[in-house]
Amino acid sequence: MAVNALLRVFLLISAAAVLFFVIRKVKKSQFEAMDAFFWLIFIAMMLAFAVFPGLAYALSGLFGFASPSNFVFLCVIAILLMYVFSLNAKVTHLRGQVNRLIQEVALREKNEGGK
Amino acid sequence: MKTLVIVPAYNEEESLKGTMDELLSMKKGFDVLVINDGSKDGTARICLENGYPLLDLPVNVGLTYGFQAGVKYAQREGYDAVLQFDADGQHMPEYISRMIQCTEETQADIVIGSRFVDDKKPFSARMIGSRVISAMIKATTGKTIADPTSGMRLFRSTVFQPFCQLGDFGPEPDSLAYLIRRGAKVSEVPVRMRDRAAGESYLNLSRSIGYMIRTCMSILFVQWFR
Repeated sequence: MAVNALLRVFLLISAAAVLFFVIRKVKKSQFEAMDAFFWLIFIAMMLAFAVFPGLAYALSGLFGFASPSNFVFLCVIAILLMYVFSLNAKVTHLRGQVNRLIQEVALREKNEGGK
Repeated sequence: MKTLVIVPAYNEEESLKGTMDELLSMKKGFDVLVINDGSKDGTARICLENGYPLLDLPVNVGLTYGFQAGVKYAQREGYDAVLQFDADGQHMPEYISRMIQCTEETQADIVIGSRFVDDKKPFSARMIGSRVISAMIKATTGKTIADPTSGMRLFRSTVFQPFCQLGDFGPEPDSLAYLIRRGAKVSEVPVRMRDRAAGESYLNLSRSIGYMIRTCMSILFVQWFR
């Protein structure tokens, strides 16, 4: 299966949709600069494959993929996996911070209560 | 030896009073602290009504972090040892002084109240899990721990630090393996335990499987890189 017109349109629409949601999150102050950066890179990649299908052909030929669309899908999956990995680390970090805070609240309350 | 008996309690309103009254009635040579781990029931109220010393965590954090809060308190108040003691009535307070005595005599960093020093382990599903954990500790540390899953353990202040500093470091078998590999000395004192007085055991099938996976993962992989 080649990168046909439908896939290109789908990539374009997806890129526009993601951009819309990113801007909305930034407006509501629910995204920090680094969060927005990741998604803008993601959008740029989708746009690149949509506008220049030759890119997917060249890269998939280089790495020996059976079809360029497979290469596009693999890129998306790989990037998402990396993002899940870093989110996992962030959640663990946050959980540790929250638990330490909860412990500290209790310890201080006990201290102030005069034991 | 200034010892703090830590009683972690999550939704233990049914058994806490019995456990605490028994503990306090024979209390000699140790202080007691209930850790209310964000219980939804009347656990905190029972402590306040009866004047039990209470560390009141505003949110449920689980046994690991709840126990850690107790160790942090003990460290700040200058205790020489902490002893974890179940709120559900399984543990018998008459063995506490024996465990404290043991660490005073042998200078052990950890004393485990062990069900299997003299008696053989029965062949239930739970004890097969216990054997697997014993085997893993033996393989990674060279030490034989007869009862690694006993919830009645004494930790001397020499091993407080990891409880205060590491996340995910609780009163569990994998922490024993970690501390032994860091040179901690472990003794086991024979104790008897009762069936729980009220409520249901925390360990159902899916939780038991999760517990075994976590323990194996921690002893065989995570601990080597901490």
